[in-house]
Amino acid sequence: MTEPAFRLIGAGKTYPNGTQALAPISLDIARGRFVSLVGPSGCGKSTLLRLMAGLITPSEGEVVRGTGSSETGFVFQDATLMPWANVADNVALPLVLKNQPPDRVAETLQRVGLQGFEGAYPRELSGGMQMRASIARAIVTSPQILLMDEPFAALDEFTRFRLNDDLIDLWRQHKWTAVFVTHSIREAVFLSQRVIVMSPRPGRMLADIAIDVPEPRDPAFRSSHILADYCAHIAAVLGRAMDAGGRAA
Amino acid sequence: MMKVAAAPMFGAILLALWEIAVVAAEVPPYILPRPSAIAMAIAANAGDLASALAVTLQVTVAALTLAALSGALVALVLAQSPIAERIFFPYAVFLQVTPIVTIAPFIIIWVENVFVVLLILAWMAAIFPIISNTLLGLKSVDTNLKDLFRLYGATRWQTIRRLMIPSALPYFLGGLRIAGGMALIGTVVAEMVAGTSGTRSGLASRLVEASYRLELAIALGCFVLLSAAGLVLYLVLDAVSRRLLRHWHESARAAP
Ligand SMILES: Nc1ncnc2c1ncn2[C@@H]1O[C@H](COP(=O)(O)OP(=O)(O)OP(=O)(O)O)[C@@H](O)[C@H]1O
Ligand SMILES: [Mg+2]
Repeated sequence: MTEPAFRLIGAGKTYPNGTQALAPISLDIARGRFVSLVGPSGCGKSTLLRLMAGLITPSEGEVVRGTGSSETGFVFQDATLMPWANVADNVALPLVLKNQPPDRVAETLQRVGLQGFEGAYPRELSGGMQMRASIARAIVTSPQILLMDEPFAALDEFTRFRLNDDLIDLWRQHKWTAVFVTHSIREAVFLSQRVIVMSPRPGRMLADIAIDVPEPRDPAFRSSHILADYCAHIAAVLGRAMDAGGRAA
Repeated sequence: MMKVAAAPMFGAILLALWEIAVVAAEVPPYILPRPSAIAMAIAANAGDLASALAVTLQVTVAALTLAALSGALVALVLAQSPIAERIFFPYAVFLQVTPIVTIAPFIIIWVENVFVVLLILAWMAAIFPIISNTLLGLKSVDTNLKDLFRLYGATRWQTIRRLMIPSALPYFLGGLRIAGGMALIGTVVAEMVAGTSGTRSGLASRLVEASYRLELAIALGCFVLLSAAGLVLYLVLDAVSRRLLRHWHESARAAP
């Protein structure tokens, strides 16, 4: 058994203003897996992701980050590019900050389909292209871990599907540990081998569902019965929790 | 074409009306000279006024440069810690709300060199917009970008150089445009209070001098040149700002 990429031991987060965002949660995330987090808005998904990234510290319990976790790529909900820098410079940022030569930038841009846009500024790109640049920036260091916080939430469904397919391809090539936050149950099931369902705030783990579908997955999986069944199951779990929450409130 | 010419045409009409009114009402030139007389006064004293303008502009540009550098530096230091900001920012405000005319007499007593006196007073007038704007810019850095820099283990210097300074640049330049006008006003006020005389006197002291002698055409000529200098200064700073921001900032977008 190899060391997990993340081990959360009763890790919870109450913000300094007293908001309990995340109830203590224990979970392991194995290396090389694609794991999705779904749950209603405000249930602490971003909080959980930021705990894993080490951007915030837990107010209780412990987050153990495996070796190599310093090599973490993070994709924010909006592209979060530096508006004053062109695409190449934005993507090169992680390398520049580590004083490494930016020689992998061209190759990475090619990989996300942004070749030819090296000199473009973020405001000259469409939302989908900005998101691609953001993903390129996250993978340019060949990180072992990729954390993504609703990266496609603001995009239309066509673009979203295309980026999903691209993301699966990239993951298949690199086998990073990927943790992916989304509001879309279908997206979660389509992409992941494991879907973690969270309750309304304060977030608890409601269900931990393995998506047992043979790899590689192709776009046809999106419209399959199997995917629909998984979605129905997850929606039912969430629905029950929301009803219970509603009664308690 | 029409749009570009509209403002100058309006001005030309006003000047023509002024010319006609003065001639028609027979106003004596020591009360109100005609615009053509002002133009002739400027032409007749061109060399003299140009060197006076040069003195004023030297002080203004030097003070603005000093204010830009020191103001940005102060803002950068204040942005590093909320405690530093709480301790020092009130003094920057103090500098801003105190009319420089009231400080001028003391500076004149303490500092012998007139150029330095003018420089200090103009610098005091110009620095606040730089400090407050730059500080605002430094504090409005995108939090996600800040997290990104932290995630990649950026050093403090890397964060300042690659994140904070570029983020604050549009704010700094906004402050600089205001400060340009303030530096000129500061210089003019300082010249008037300090009452420089002799060969190295600036345009504002020439103005005061001429008005004492009731040479109103020359005084108004000084006024026109000072206003023109202010306008040119603003246009230059605006062009610099647009050039630096042209790729990325909304403010530098060409008007539709
Ligand atoms: N810095 C903070 N200070 C105080 N409270 C916070 C902070 N960040 C988040 N919260 C609160 O914690 C709770 C969970 O926030 P979080 O951003 O983790 O939710 P989320 O599941 O990502 O929601 P969404 O799906 O809408 O993005 C929310 O109630 C939010 O108001
Ligand atoms: Mg969120």
